[in-house]
Amino acid sequence: MSQFRLKKLDLGGFVNTRILRDHTKRRTFEQFEPERQALRYTIRNTSLPQRVRAQAQLQLANMHSNTRSTQIKNRCVEGGTARSVIRAFRLGRYQFRMQALAGELPGVRKASW
Amino acid sequence: MSSKLQKDRLDSIGSKARLPRSVQAVYLRPLRRQAVYGLPVCDLQLRSYSVRNVEFFADFAVRAAYYLKLPVSGPIPLPRMVERWTVPRSNFVHKKSQENFERVTLRRLIQIKDGNPQVVQAWLAFLRKNAFYGVGMKANVWEHESLDVVENMDKSLPEVEKTLEPYLSQFGQRKDTKFHPSIPGILDSERFIAYKGPLTTVRGG
Repeated sequence: MSQFRLKKLDLGGFVNTRILRDHTKRRTFEQFEPERQALRYTIRNTSLPQRVRAQAQLQLANMHSNTRSTQIKNRCVEGGTARSVIRAFRLGRYQFRMQALAGELPGVRKASW
Repeated sequence: MSSKLQKDRLDSIGSKARLPRSVQAVYLRPLRRQAVYGLPVCDLQLRSYSVRNVEFFADFAVRAAYYLKLPVSGPIPLPRMVERWTVPRSNFVHKKSQENFERVTLRRLIQIKDGNPQVVQAWLAFLRKNAFYGVGMKANVWEHESLDVVENMDKSLPEVEKTLEPYLSQFGQRKDTKFHPSIPGILDSERFIAYKGPLTTVRGG
C-alpha cells in the first residue's frame, strides 16, 4: 500500500487516513488500468498461444490488490464516512441532511407527499 | 415659449409615442417562424430546479430563435424528474425517526425545425453566452447530408488529414519503455510461427 502513496498530500478539503487510503487506491487503479486491460485481453484472446495466455493470467493474478477497481469505496467528502453515502452529492447521510437543511444543495428541499 | 413646447412634447411622449416594436414584443407572446418542411434539426433540453428560471430561459430561447429566423416548436414541458432521499434524522441509530428530501428537476424541450446547421450553431452559442443561472442545457443536433455523402467525404479527406497531423505525429513508442525494442523480431521467431492457434487457419496465417 505504502509504495503507492504519494510523498506529498495531493488532496484538498476534508482528509483523514481512510480517505487518503481510498484516494491512493483510486490513483493506483487509474495508473494500472491499461496494464490490467491488456492482460485481460490477452487472457481472453483465443487466437493467442496458450502459454502466453497462461502467463498473462499469472501476471494478472500477481498484481497488487490495490490495482483492482473493487477496492475502491465511495466515501463522504465532508466526514469520510463509508456507509450510506449518497452518490449524487458524495455525502454521508447525516452530512447530506445538515447541508440540505442549510440550503447548500441546489434544488433539494424537504419532501412531503 | 420654446421651453414650454419642449415640456409639452416630453409630456406627450408617454401617450403619443410608442415603444420600438422589438421592445413591445417583449410584453407579448413570442413570435414564431413557420416551418416549411418540419424536419427536426436540433433538440434543446433545458433543465432547472426552479420553474421561474426554466420558463424565463425557454421564452428567451424561443425569441432568440425568431430573430435568427429559425422555426421553433415548444417549449414542450417534459416529465419532471423527482429524486427522493430518506435519511435518519440523527447521526446515529434511531432509525425510527427519519426525514424525506426531494429534488425536482423541471425540463423543457425546444425543437428547431429545418434550420441551417450554422444558424443553429449560432443560436446555441448565443444561448450559451447568455446562459441563465440555475438552468442547464443539453442539445441534440442532427445534420442532414445529400445522397453523395461518400464522394464528399473523399473530397474532404486531405483537409481532415492535415488537421490530424499534429496529433498523429505524437504517436510512437517511448524511448525509455521497458518492453523489448524488437517486437517484430520476437513475433517472427520460430516459436511463435510454429505455434498453430485455433484461429490461424481461419485467418490464413
